[in-house]
Amino acid sequence: MTEERPPGTAHRHLSAPAVPDTVDLAHHELELLWAETPQVGDLDRMRFELAVVEVLANIVEHAYGEEHDDAHGARGVELDLAVEVDRLVAVLHDDGVRAELDLSRVSMPGEDAESGRGLALTLATVDELEYRREDGRNLWRLVCLRHS
Amino acid sequence: MIEIEVDRREGGIGVVVPKGRLNMVSARQLKELLGELVSSGATRVVVDLAETTFLDSSGLGAIIAGLKSARQAGGDLRIARPTATVLTVFQLTNMDKVLRPRDDVDTAFDD
Repeated sequence: MTEERPPGTAHRHLSAPAVPDTVDLAHHELELLWAETPQVGDLDRMRFELAVVEVLANIVEHAYGEEHDDAHGARGVELDLAVEVDRLVAVLHDDGVRAELDLSRVSMPGEDAESGRGLALTLATVDELEYRREDGRNLWRLVCLRHS
Repeated sequence: MIEIEVDRREGGIGVVVPKGRLNMVSARQLKELLGELVSSGATRVVVDLAETTFLDSSGLGAIIAGLKSARQAGGDLRIARPTATVLTVFQLTNMDKVLRPRDDVDTAFDD
């Protein structure tokens, strides 16, 4: 049964291991999402894609500690991407450890830093960014309001 | 997926052209390539971003690592021709002040 959606909206889901190559899969899912919704403007696409990739990269880097056993297949991430009438929404779930961070204290590191800009850049890009633990999992939700 | 072209020129100049997306996968490749280029004597590096369709913080980190190794070797790293999308990332991170984008690859080291 096909779910009825308002015209110009779309949704895609990706479930994959939390490894670097999954970032390329996410770019591909976004390409498919944009193909379904050509009316989403370039600037909105860019902001959303950057934020999704940064949060996903953060999960790949930090959610599963070094000691986490890959062999059990639990090192996963789920990504839901939605184009709604007035906004772009991404929800990412993983089964990793709690992210010890306070989003209100994230800031851009100094110019010499080679890492640590991901979440600061995400916050500069999105209209809403939320992180919480839900049913023992990590949940990230980000929203970009559509401007174009 | 990314393809990175390297063009070695006279005067210790190396032009690096990443074609595609610079994300956490390809950033590692770029960082290694820039490190090797500098240690092989091309200490004046131009990263031509005209064909870079996407840049995230890890791609930016690789460019900053390249800048640091070039400067440590007595050279420098310049960026040229970023697309609007890529330029936005430099602006949002304030790195456009440190890595002022040049309009042209051939004249990137003229000043």
